[in-house]
Amino acid sequence: MARTSNKNIQAKLVVLGDMGTGKTSLVLRFIKGQFNDYQESTIGAAFFTQVLSLNEATIKFDIWDTAGQERYHSLAPMYYRGAAAAIVVYDITTMDSFVRAKKWVQELQKQGNPNLIMFLAGNKVDLEKKREVEFEEGEQYAKENGLVFLETSAKTAQNVNELFYEIAKRLVKSSPPTRPGGMKLHRGSRGTERRLFCCSV
Amino acid sequence: MYGTQSKRDLALEFQSQIPILRPSIHSRRANLTVKFQDLYMFTVEGNVDDVNVLNEVREKVRKQGRVWWALEANKGANWYLEPSISEGIALKSSLKFSTLANAITLKRLIRKGIPPLLRPKVWFSLSGAAKKKSTVPESYYDDLLKAVEGKVTPATRQIDHDLPRTFPGHPWLDTPEGHAALRRVLVGYSFRDSDVGYCQGLNYVAALLLLVMKTEEDAFWMLAVLLENVLVNDCYTTNLSGCHVEQRVFKDLLAKKCPSRIATHLEALDFDVSLVATEWFLCLFSKSLPSETTLRVWDVLFYEGAKVLFHVALAIFKMKEDELLLTHHVGDVINILQKTTHHLFDPDELLTVAFDKIGSMTTNTISKQRKIQEPAVMAELDQRLRRLNSLKLEDK
Repeated sequence: MARTSNKNIQAKLVVLGDMGTGKTSLVLRFIKGQFNDYQESTIGAAFFTQVLSLNEATIKFDIWDTAGQERYHSLAPMYYRGAAAAIVVYDITTMDSFVRAKKWVQELQKQGNPNLIMFLAGNKVDLEKKREVEFEEGEQYAKENGLVFLETSAKTAQNVNELFYEIAKRLVKSSPPTRPGGMKLHRGSRGTERRLFCCSV
Repeated sequence: MYGTQSKRDLALEFQSQIPILRPSIHSRRANLTVKFQDLYMFTVEGNVDDVNVLNEVREKVRKQGRVWWALEANKGANWYLEPSISEGIALKSSLKFSTLANAITLKRLIRKGIPPLLRPKVWFSLSGAAKKKSTVPESYYDDLLKAVEGKVTPATRQIDHDLPRTFPGHPWLDTPEGHAALRRVLVGYSFRDSDVGYCQGLNYVAALLLLVMKTEEDAFWMLAVLLENVLVNDCYTTNLSGCHVEQRVFKDLLAKKCPSRIATHLEALDFDVSLVATEWFLCLFSKSLPSETTLRVWDVLFYEGAKVLFHVALAIFKMKEDELLLTHHVGDVINILQKTTHHLFDPDELLTVAFDKIGSMTTNTISKQRKIQEPAVMAELDQRLRRLNSLKLEDK
């Protein structure tokens, strides 16, 4: 399987967003292909790994799925520190969660890794009737801030794989072909395996 | 206003109908994953060995029950509730030999586990919950619920959101009755202490308290004594500062109490212990350890105090020392720790390490460590807040 790919990339991915926007559900849909109507609330953060094979490379994701409640905010730097990619999630049925998402984007822009690949996901598109945040609104904000934007549904699986594949593709693109200076190498790494963990905050 | 007595006793009834599990014919192979229910009716996944361990634990629980009944027969019912014992050896002036002997017996006994049937009574008394309740009018809880009925606050909205997300699938907690009871306890507490309001994590703690205690009101008082007396201050308040303090204390203890090569190795991997320990400390292990193991930790927590959390957290690292030293990556460390905690069906396996192999720690030492860490935590949180505020200003 690994023969077809010439690169192994290990990348830290952090998922941020308001409470109950479906962060864990998105991750579980991607990893297990499952969905629970009532997903246990995450405390601190949950950790998952998943491998994605593209033609050009194999990406091993270390996913940090964080707790959404506002007071857990003070823990967030521990999880986004050194991340190569971030998904900021909001729930299209609540404007508050979109406002909160913008705050996360701002914080990541200021505090995160400057090469961070940032995605904005408007989740729960299956609840079209309850929509409060228009597609154009999310798209516009993403454009202004250089984010990749997708509307998703963890419930119906709409755009979920696309989201993670798109992240993987961009990680491959941004990963330099040769060993650059200052890049942290995996301890005891074999061959071309490399981590995309970058500078810390 | 709230559930009738029979409804509130439901949680207890579940405990008395604990079935003996027999692995089905399809799951005889040990490496096969099976789903089964544990002692508090939680569905867990494990292999056939885990099922066998759990059956042994049930047997041990029964044996331990007999030890407690025998002591009652010998020393008189409620011997362990005598204030001079439960308040410990601190009361030197009134120290009698028999009291001292009883206190030592009790400490040892509690570390070996309180039988599920006695838990409500023993916890309520030894934790200080009974005393706390006795300082307010009898109708306090009912009055509180009446006063908050129909009120909507950010806390109640978040509680409502989390009710079906608290141990989903549990045969009592995940029912309209279970949700309603949990809601009353959490909402009631959010009004009792508005600094705490509602913090995610408390839902799991309160849910387990409901399963153990006989009544909803007692669960409420257990939650109160836990947050107000047992745990470090501000563990659950707006910026979780108490929790940050505990994490720093834990980091220091890991370097001191476990062979230093573990701390050194983990540091080299860029592994921050709070990546896993935050959830342990905020949920008091209820989301990580199997239910009976969690409750055995709580047995000691309510008698000996918050230092117990450090004992247990250190023990988890200590048990997996060799494996952890072989890891090359943060993800491997986390996977080992998660797998370990999820499969700790035998509480004694954990508690023996926690109390015999970590060395003693006094509540006093922990308090001193906290004092040392507090200024650094406050400075860090303050600096962060200022940075975030500067973001807002730029935005304008």
